[in-house]
Amino acid sequence: MRVSLNWLREFVDFDLSPEQLADHLTMLGLEIESVERLGQDIKNVRVGQIRSIEPHPNADKLTVCQTDVGDGQPLQIICGAANMKVGDKVPTAVDGAVLPGGFKIGRRKMRGVESQGMMCSETELGIGEDAGGLLILPEDVSIGTDIVSLLELDDVVFEIEVTPNRGDWAGVIGVARELSASLGEELELPDIHLITSERQQAADVSSVTIDDGELCPRYAGRILVEAEVGESPAWMKARLHAAGVRAINNVVDITNYVLIETGHPLHAFDLDTLAEKRIIVRRAEDGESIRTLDGVQRKLDRDVLIIADAKQPIAVAGIMGGENTEVGENTRNIFLESAVFNPRFIRHGSRSLGLITEASQRFQRGADPAMARYALDTAAALMREYADTDVLEGVLDEYPHPERPRQVTLRYLRTNEVLGDEVPPHRQSKFIQNLGFETVEETSTASTFRVPTWRHDVKEEADLIEEVARLHGYGAIEPEIPKIARRGEDLAPEEMRLRRLREFVVGLGYTECITLAFGNPEDTQAAGLNGGAGEMVTLMNPLSEKHSAMRTSLLPGLLRTCAHNLNHGVDDQALFEMGPVYFPRDNQTLPSQHSHLGLLLTGRRRPPHWSEDDADTDFYDMKGYVEAILEYFGLQSTFRETRQPTFLSGQAAEILAGDKSVGSFGQVAPGASRAYEIDADVFVAEFDLDVLLAIPQSPPQYRPSPPYPPYLRDMAILVPRGLPAGDVISVVWENGGELLKDVQLFDVYTGDRIPADKKSLALNLVFQSHEKTLSSNDTQAVWDRIVAQLQERLGAALR
Amino acid sequence: MKERLETIRQQALEEIAHSAESEALEQTRVKYLGRKGELTQILRGLSQVAPEERKAMGQAANEIKEAVATALEKRKKDLEAKELEEHASRNRADLTLPGRRPRLGHKHLISQVIEEIVDIFSGMGFQTATGPDIETEYYNFESMNTPEDHPARDLHDTFFVKDGVVLRTHTSPVQMRVMESAAPPVAVVVPGRTFRVDNDASHSPMFFQIEGLLVDKGVNFAELKGALMHFVHSFFGKGIAVRFRPHYFPFTEPSAEMDISCTVCGGQGCRLCKHQGWLEILGCGMVHPQVFRYAGYDVEDVTGFAFGMGVDRIALLKHSIDSIHHLYENDLRFLEQF
Ligand SMILES: [Zn+2]
Repeated sequence: MRVSLNWLREFVDFDLSPEQLADHLTMLGLEIESVERLGQDIKNVRVGQIRSIEPHPNADKLTVCQTDVGDGQPLQIICGAANMKVGDKVPTAVDGAVLPGGFKIGRRKMRGVESQGMMCSETELGIGEDAGGLLILPEDVSIGTDIVSLLELDDVVFEIEVTPNRGDWAGVIGVARELSASLGEELELPDIHLITSERQQAADVSSVTIDDGELCPRYAGRILVEAEVGESPAWMKARLHAAGVRAINNVVDITNYVLIETGHPLHAFDLDTLAEKRIIVRRAEDGESIRTLDGVQRKLDRDVLIIADAKQPIAVAGIMGGENTEVGENTRNIFLESAVFNPRFIRHGSRSLGLITEASQRFQRGADPAMARYALDTAAALMREYADTDVLEGVLDEYPHPERPRQVTLRYLRTNEVLGDEVPPHRQSKFIQNLGFETVEETSTASTFRVPTWRHDVKEEADLIEEVARLHGYGAIEPEIPKIARRGEDLAPEEMRLRRLREFVVGLGYTECITLAFGNPEDTQAAGLNGGAGEMVTLMNPLSEKHSAMRTSLLPGLLRTCAHNLNHGVDDQALFEMGPVYFPRDNQTLPSQHSHLGLLLTGRRRPPHWSEDDADTDFYDMKGYVEAILEYFGLQSTFRETRQPTFLSGQAAEILAGDKSVGSFGQVAPGASRAYEIDADVFVAEFDLDVLLAIPQSPPQYRPSPPYPPYLRDMAILVPRGLPAGDVISVVWENGGELLKDVQLFDVYTGDRIPADKKSLALNLVFQSHEKTLSSNDTQAVWDRIVAQLQERLGAALR
Repeated sequence: MKERLETIRQQALEEIAHSAESEALEQTRVKYLGRKGELTQILRGLSQVAPEERKAMGQAANEIKEAVATALEKRKKDLEAKELEEHASRNRADLTLPGRRPRLGHKHLISQVIEEIVDIFSGMGFQTATGPDIETEYYNFESMNTPEDHPARDLHDTFFVKDGVVLRTHTSPVQMRVMESAAPPVAVVVPGRTFRVDNDASHSPMFFQIEGLLVDKGVNFAELKGALMHFVHSFFGKGIAVRFRPHYFPFTEPSAEMDISCTVCGGQGCRLCKHQGWLEILGCGMVHPQVFRYAGYDVEDVTGFAFGMGVDRIALLKHSIDSIHHLYENDLRFLEQF
């Protein structure tokens, strides 16, 4: 909300610079988002009276005016406007004047005739949108008066963020009230001098009926007759402009002006358009509709509160008026509404109609029934003055269930316990009283207060404690480090394990990505994963089709990240992500959430180096990382060939730890790469960390290292080409006995030197004993057994 | 005999001085001091010398042996030094050639910031807790004192999975999950993903928050200030000013927002802080009694404070990053800077 400094000063007296005021309000909870200075660059613009208007000798659309600015000799001014007449008083920029934006005015020739200044429109003064003609000032202003002081253009506007709990701050008076409480200054609410006309009673002209007092606790109206709808006075336009509201006509402007001042929304109906001139507040009937002021035809239903006349809806209550009862140029008689509507109902209606207005925002924060009446009378008085209307005697004020004021008790000791400070009791009660609370009962330890009608947010003691804290000042409370009694058990032990795993994977040379946890069926299926109906958690209101569901795998995000980086010229990538994936779950309120780890490799195996040739990453690089990660968990890994659309067939495996499947890895299938616009060999792996972390781990037990050196012996064997190397190694282990400590495969050869259907494997066998240093004699028997078994079971032959 | 010893001495020292390489020097050593070396022979032959001369001769021979040995040692060191120098001049490493580096991985900035913040609070005694990203409306809103039709719900543009189930809009629901599972005292920090229907220059539909909750007998606002100021000074530095100003959150009362002095201008006013000199960092307050009632805690027995901060914003501020979208684009040229 935009609040003007001059306007505030009408209600409370204070001696603060604009900067101090901004700071003061911010520290009270009225956060100032910006401070804007108005009119300060306007100089030497004065009230001038037009003495004569002559046609310009050389230009049809210009006139030569003589304008008296109080300097004795009138100024000759060339003017392009046409709305003025002799005798009008207008803002006149004299030689040396400055207009908003630093625009300087001086003597100059226009089409051969000298112009000694400029007469201004409201746009040129920066106080309105009407650039069509000169700003005509009231007749009674004195010639020569400085325009800045006349229109109070020298003002400061504060943009205030009003929190949703404080509807009462959404008006100048509410802000002034807060200032008065915090500064200990009186709030000066002017008495309203409303002179009513006895020519008729309002009740004889119109009537108000409320169907449901729950939905409309108060509805007050006044009847204004023979209004002159026209322009508002310049000062009011300037204020509205400062508040960011467009001037329309005096009637509408006054309702807006009072809205800004009191925070209470008003609405003016053209009385003569109301069927039977009646006002009925009721729920809409299904099938009813209304064309609102914004020109939109809106369908209504039972959940929308409306104002109706005897026949049809004329306004969506508390949200927006209807077009057919709008006040326009030809309006003569007015029904002026000031009401209080149920906040929840307004919020509901505003959302279901998709219509958020100044009025709806205020009503849904809760309006003040007392202010409703004050605002109505203030507006009526202004209408009488500036719209030349009679205000009929009597108020149509339906207030079926005046809310009983709440009472809340504050214990002084409790305040100090919660704040960790010593605020003396008398200061506590003074703070609360300054805010408009009345003391009902007071003891030495506690006070009970009656909550003012504008404080819907104060419901219990904690709310009063906050009021004390605000006025005492949060800054006055001395900080203290809390002494925390530690609980025993760890609440999220997996967090620390995930964190260590992240360190480990980073240590392997991978860079961590965090991608959005959204997904969509199309991208998921493009990566060869399940993304059909019922397989993903979908969103009812997604941002876009791309984000229409929650991801079930980290691979789509990694592939997209890979493509992004390839597009930016980064060919070598080792990426990983650790994060949640989500799966629908039957018969449960919430879907299931798993932690996954995804890896992606592409490009060169190692950073390029001048001493060696580059080598591209391959399947066995990724396999090595997968093995390393399982070893990190202290688990033996085994692998099983898998066929999944994600992977190139023959280059993929399911990862097993014991008998548990913990993930899969492989080379990304060409179709999937294409779908992600990747033109490179990419290897990925994905682990389900929930499964991996759930595998019980016991602390490793110490095994003494043999004191005697190992005896090493190499074995080269020819085996059928298709035989998995793992089968050979298994046979070696099975027959190695106690002495065999390790088997390393160090070469695989296929080629010209051996038959085409064979491959050669070279193994390094490590024998070691705890008793002595071994020699070939000690191991010969084992060696022979291994060779024999390899031959018998696998058809292997020593080379 | 004496003359012979003197001749050997002179010859030996001369040969040592002229040995130009370690190998030649070793031959010299063998020639004089080896098992069959000239001096060794003489010393061995002393038994044949007349007893009255033996002592003097032995002494002289030993002196010469020692002198030769010393000279040999010295010459050996000189030659080794010379040879190392020659080796160095032939095999000098080019210090400007790049070394063989392993690939270096980087932890995502968000992870780094979360870990740092969690560690600061864990040092004060807070434990880590977590909760589900997809939450019931009850935990996300109702139990946080934000019932249906509460105006504060308008501030949360919520993703719905179905009626009653949302992507959590903040980490606060974990407060309730923790309190439901344990009796006070409770001291937790909760890092996690959060979601809002918002995607513009300064918002990402997914972002990270860290929630904090301390509940015990006698927890007060002064301690809330103390804990958070300790965090700011640990994370941003000792020289940073902190202020708390009243604000509104449905689940705390009194509520506050915490600002820190601008990390760019130090409070003078600049574009980043919108010329205010302050940057908003987090929301906090004393736990609302209504929240304790939902948790089944006795509002007369315990008090508590809670806070919630946006990890992304804090990361951007600390590292002068101009857009939140860098964080989730995962451009390696960005990630590798941290
Ligand atoms: Zn700054």
